[in-house]
Amino acid sequence: MSSALSRSLCRVLTRHRATISSCRALFLRFRAEPKKKKKVDPRRELVLRERMKKKLKKLEKVPPEFIPVEDLITPAKYLDETRERSAPRLSFEESERRALLLKEWCRYKKNQHMAEVEAVELALEAQREALEELKLESEELYQAALKPDPLLFPFTHEGPAYTPANTKYYAPDGKYNDITKVYTQ
Amino acid sequence: MNPVFRKLQAVNQVLTLCRATPCIQRPVWDSVDKRQYKSMPTHGIGRWRHFIPREPPKKKKDKHQMKPILAATDTAYGSLSVRVSGHDMTLVEHYSQYIHNLCNRLGIKVAESYALPTKTTEVMLMQEQGTKMFVEAVLKTHQRVVQLSSLDATLCPLFMGVVLKNQPEGVRLSVKEHTEADFHSRFKGRPELEGLMAQINQ
Repeated sequence: MSSALSRSLCRVLTRHRATISSCRALFLRFRAEPKKKKKVDPRRELVLRERMKKKLKKLEKVPPEFIPVEDLITPAKYLDETRERSAPRLSFEESERRALLLKEWCRYKKNQHMAEVEAVELALEAQREALEELKLESEELYQAALKPDPLLFPFTHEGPAYTPANTKYYAPDGKYNDITKVYTQ
Repeated sequence: MNPVFRKLQAVNQVLTLCRATPCIQRPVWDSVDKRQYKSMPTHGIGRWRHFIPREPPKKKKDKHQMKPILAATDTAYGSLSVRVSGHDMTLVEHYSQYIHNLCNRLGIKVAESYALPTKTTEVMLMQEQGTKMFVEAVLKTHQRVVQLSSLDATLCPLFMGVVLKNQPEGVRLSVKEHTEADFHSRFKGRPELEGLMAQINQ
């Protein structure tokens, strides 16, 4: 009924070109029922959200895995048994010399370690005595001495080098590429 | 046959008489349940499993729990991570082991001691003639971490002094505060999970 009315109205109005667009709008308004679309959209969204939440729950149940460290995995080529090398045959004197050298080295390292442990203990004892004296002197300074230093960390130090840096060294042009393998779960 | 039966009857009569009279020391073969060695004072002398403290049954799905990060107090630093990195794996490993042993000796509590994934770097140099780059070398940087739960401020200078004195060449030492981000960087990335989270939050 409403559509037939709109069509007749259109026929009447099509004489004037300017009214064609308004006629179309009228026609569409009477013909379409946009209420149905509005009901489906929020439902669809809710269903999608629930699905995503379920997926998320399933993924969260799986615990995260550590990135494998290459250092701790023996490469396959070293497990090949055909690559075995037999131990060299030593003469009696050579083996004796080696054993005595090992013992000498053991003794040397042991002395070194003992000296280090003693030095550490002496230092600890000296520190303890100094702190006791400080406590007797003034309580404030003693408390301040026990406090940790906030500016110390982060701390970085490079190892010593065999030779000092060469000031006149001309480095060739180039760049570093990080090709570490990125693992994803 | 008859005398045998008569003898049996006689034995039975004797036995019944024995049972009738209340005797304190009953023969062992009478009741099989009462085993005499269970009443001995040395019974259960070899038991040892009840001495070991009972551990709760381990769950199969063990989520890697992060050890609690302590904050700095008035007399001690918080959780620190001592990171040793270098190109020579033996030096790096031995140095990290040395630090771990030193902590045990000095009484510093070590929370964890682990290895971080190796970083591979490709060194590319410019060719002498032309503008092309060519691969010169592949360097691997190994990293080991000794995580300390807390460090006393009085032990700190001594510890740092000993550690620095024994630092081998080519090995870089870095001491930082341990954070949760450091812990999570050890795990594999999960782009699907993150994508889903972003979509849900939008």
